[in-house]
Amino acid sequence: MSLSNLIQNWDSFRKRRPYEDQYKDAPYKWAMVIDLDSCIGCNACTVACYAENNLAVVGKERFGKGQAMHWIRIERYWGEGEALETEFPERGAQYLPMLCQQCEAAPCEPVCPVGATHHSPDGLNTQVYNRCVGSRYCSANCPYKVRYFNWWNYPERAWPNPLELQLNPDVTVRSKGVMEKCTFCMQRLRAGQDKAKTAGRLLADGEVLTACAQACPTSAITFGNLADKNSKVARMWKNQQVDLAKNAQDKSEEGVRGYRILEDLNTYPSIVYLERLRNFAA
Amino acid sequence: MSKKAVTLALYADPDEAGNALRELRDCSVPGFKMDDVIIKSPIDHPELTELLNHRPVYIQLFTLLGVLLGPTTGLVLIASAQASFIYQTRGGRPIVPFPPDMVLTYELFILSGVLMTVISTFVAMKLPGNRSPLYNASVSEDKIGILVKAEAQNIPHIDEILRRHNPTEIKGDHSR
Amino acid sequence: MSHNVHGHPQMDVQVERKFVPKVKDLGPDVNWAQINKDVLRSLEKPRPVFWIIFFSALALFSFGVYCEVYQYQNGMGVADLNNPQVWGLYIATFIFWIGMGHSGTLLSALLHIIHADWRKPIYRYSEAMTTFTLLTAALFVMVHMGRLWEFYYVVAYPNERWTWPNFTSPLVWDATAIGTYLTSSLLFLYMGMIPDLAICRDNAKGARRALYKFLSLGWQGTDRQWGNFKVAYMTMACFLMPLAVSVHSIVSTDFAVSQNPGWHVTSFPPYFVLGALYSGCSGIITLFIVLRYVFRFEAYMTQPILNKLIKMTFAIAMVWTYLDLIEYATTWYGSDEVAKADLLYRATGDYALQFWGMIFCAMVMPFTLLIRYVRHNYTVLLIISLILNVGMWLERFQIITPTFAKSHYPWTWTAGWWPSWVQWGIVAGSFGWFTMLFMLYCKIFPSVSMYEVKEMVHEQNLEGKAMAHANPESEQAPVGLLEGGQA
Repeated sequence: MSLSNLIQNWDSFRKRRPYEDQYKDAPYKWAMVIDLDSCIGCNACTVACYAENNLAVVGKERFGKGQAMHWIRIERYWGEGEALETEFPERGAQYLPMLCQQCEAAPCEPVCPVGATHHSPDGLNTQVYNRCVGSRYCSANCPYKVRYFNWWNYPERAWPNPLELQLNPDVTVRSKGVMEKCTFCMQRLRAGQDKAKTAGRLLADGEVLTACAQACPTSAITFGNLADKNSKVARMWKNQQVDLAKNAQDKSEEGVRGYRILEDLNTYPSIVYLERLRNFAA
Repeated sequence: MSKKAVTLALYADPDEAGNALRELRDCSVPGFKMDDVIIKSPIDHPELTELLNHRPVYIQLFTLLGVLLGPTTGLVLIASAQASFIYQTRGGRPIVPFPPDMVLTYELFILSGVLMTVISTFVAMKLPGNRSPLYNASVSEDKIGILVKAEAQNIPHIDEILRRHNPTEIKGDHSR
Repeated sequence: MSHNVHGHPQMDVQVERKFVPKVKDLGPDVNWAQINKDVLRSLEKPRPVFWIIFFSALALFSFGVYCEVYQYQNGMGVADLNNPQVWGLYIATFIFWIGMGHSGTLLSALLHIIHADWRKPIYRYSEAMTTFTLLTAALFVMVHMGRLWEFYYVVAYPNERWTWPNFTSPLVWDATAIGTYLTSSLLFLYMGMIPDLAICRDNAKGARRALYKFLSLGWQGTDRQWGNFKVAYMTMACFLMPLAVSVHSIVSTDFAVSQNPGWHVTSFPPYFVLGALYSGCSGIITLFIVLRYVFRFEAYMTQPILNKLIKMTFAIAMVWTYLDLIEYATTWYGSDEVAKADLLYRATGDYALQFWGMIFCAMVMPFTLLIRYVRHNYTVLLIISLILNVGMWLERFQIITPTFAKSHYPWTWTAGWWPSWVQWGIVAGSFGWFTMLFMLYCKIFPSVSMYEVKEMVHEQNLEGKAMAHANPESEQAPVGLLEGGQA
């Protein structure tokens, strides 16, 4: 049975991804655009993620040890350059929300010894907690370091009674020794897809949002279906001249400010960041 | 046909044992063949084994069988496991990628070769098995034993040959 | 003896020959019965220091077990591992131990293939070292796992869920390679030991006799057994040498296949293999000195053999040094800025002490082996061989830690990460575990190969006879013959 499967589907088994028009016939390919110009670093996305995905609050000491579990984190950078350092030091701070980039060619996937992390048909990099043995190779190989390991047994410590009542029933509470990461709020996607399927249609643009996109007060995060050419995300990707299957983008048009982080590592991320604009004339 | 009997001569000097073997080879005891002679020694003595008739070793054939069958079966099993694993796509790599599969096939090549060698060796050495009743502990120390199986009436004759080369001891069911 | 050069008439020159006695690896008074006696004695009453070593190892191991239980109960967090520093000492020490094993195979397999007879008295314990270091390394795979209780997921076994290990992962290659290596070297060790187990069986009493009788499988040293044994042993040696090379190459792919700066290096596989042989060889020197003293093996572990071992270690150390420097040189010469920054960070950053410590211990210290006094003073040599291995451990440490501390993504750059006592405890426990197993092995099984030392003695005797009969007319020049004069 398996041998005939091997022979019949040989061509598809030998195909490398991503390739041009990979999601042409697929119903969904989830992607994101984050506008750094709109981001004010308020951390609302992080808080929303903690509430939505049952992330453990680790406490000050463990946070200091680098054992935090924030699937999305706000990184604060201090801008460089003479104008920022001398003239407008108060404008130096800029923020970058960092979450799993859901890479099309994710470095974390091929190194997992048990196949706990893999690519889903709708383009998500998913983690199977039950399968994970905790070798942490995925985290070692992730260039963005957005995978979080359960160093401790959090169900017992993070939500003392009665805080366990606030847990989201749609999301697993992870136990010690497994790796976890941003899922693009997969529980919301699945519920929405099921609902749409029952109604015999596809999800409409904006029908389902991730918790971070929903919570963002400045709408810096746009989430949507890249396979749908008319979705907002797909249009933004096109306008910013970012192609999913290319590792070096054509930036010929004026005012293009979309980029993907560490693209030269050939990870093909699903999140496009829009560069921050600065106006020093004002 | 009379009953078969065995005799064991122990030599301290390999040269003497060689001379005894040479004489046994050239002797004309009726019904006696060199195939009935067994050398027992603390180390391998190629120069003594040469004097016996050629006793072929077939282990390499089994090794060859192992290194041919092991990796091919292994590669097919690995590739079909990859093909039938439900969640397949990882890191944009092909589902059946050659470089990793070659690494694993190489390891299986060596593993099956080693296992076939070991198994066939134990079969060829007839191990595990019982020692012959005439086993003498000194052949694991510093003596070379020549064990001859012959028809009972020829044993005195063979003993005489063996005794001519200064054995430290001769013993056997019918030798005394 | 004489030959034509450019068609000149053949000159008839009297050839003067003289005998220069070859340095014998074993003394002249070693005979077969004595070998049995000496080696079997090692199973009976070692020097008291044996028990000191054994019980200190047991104590260390117990502490390691305590740390592991503590970590198992509370989670990996007690090791102070964190987001960029996900591996810590566990993987560094894993590479260290798996590397230690490779020289045992070098001695037992490669030197067997090329008939380097000086290996014979020392290969048995080196091969045992291989087996036990592999067991120790396998322990670290377990210790390192977040969910130790699910370790069997890494093994390909048929199950109703149709899930398999991910064959593209270098960790699965590791598991396969280490499994193959452990199986093969265990079989190789056992197979090579069968004739010696028969000797033990013939001399032991009581429970030990039952054990040896069971393990020796009824070996009686017949010509048929020896003939097959020799062929099989050589065949296995031929398998083991490429296997050893492949195992550490595969371990290096854990790093070389990944994207991190300082790991993504093409020369990693040979670099790792040579590093493995290097640390293994100095480990063998350490154990040489320890066993020689503890079990009174002075007659078998002789200075000429030690000299050869040291020469080999020095040569391997120099190849390793070359490969290490060439790795830095290519990084420096290349245009991968991240890798360059990583290299600079290693040499000048938080872990500069470890980096330069490695350079000193593993690159500079081997030059002391050139001093005759060092080679002949066992105390000094013991210390130096340990320093070399400290250097090799530091090498593994500075491969892992600085790379995590300064990887591609600046947000996760950390300064001054340091492992917790739990990690150190488990690392110390692993040394205890290895020493304990190894010492037990040497107490229960013959750690010097009796039948092969007998072969050595036999050959030395034959050589002696050949020397005695040699004369200038004989065509077959005996070993140790030098030609004088001109032909």
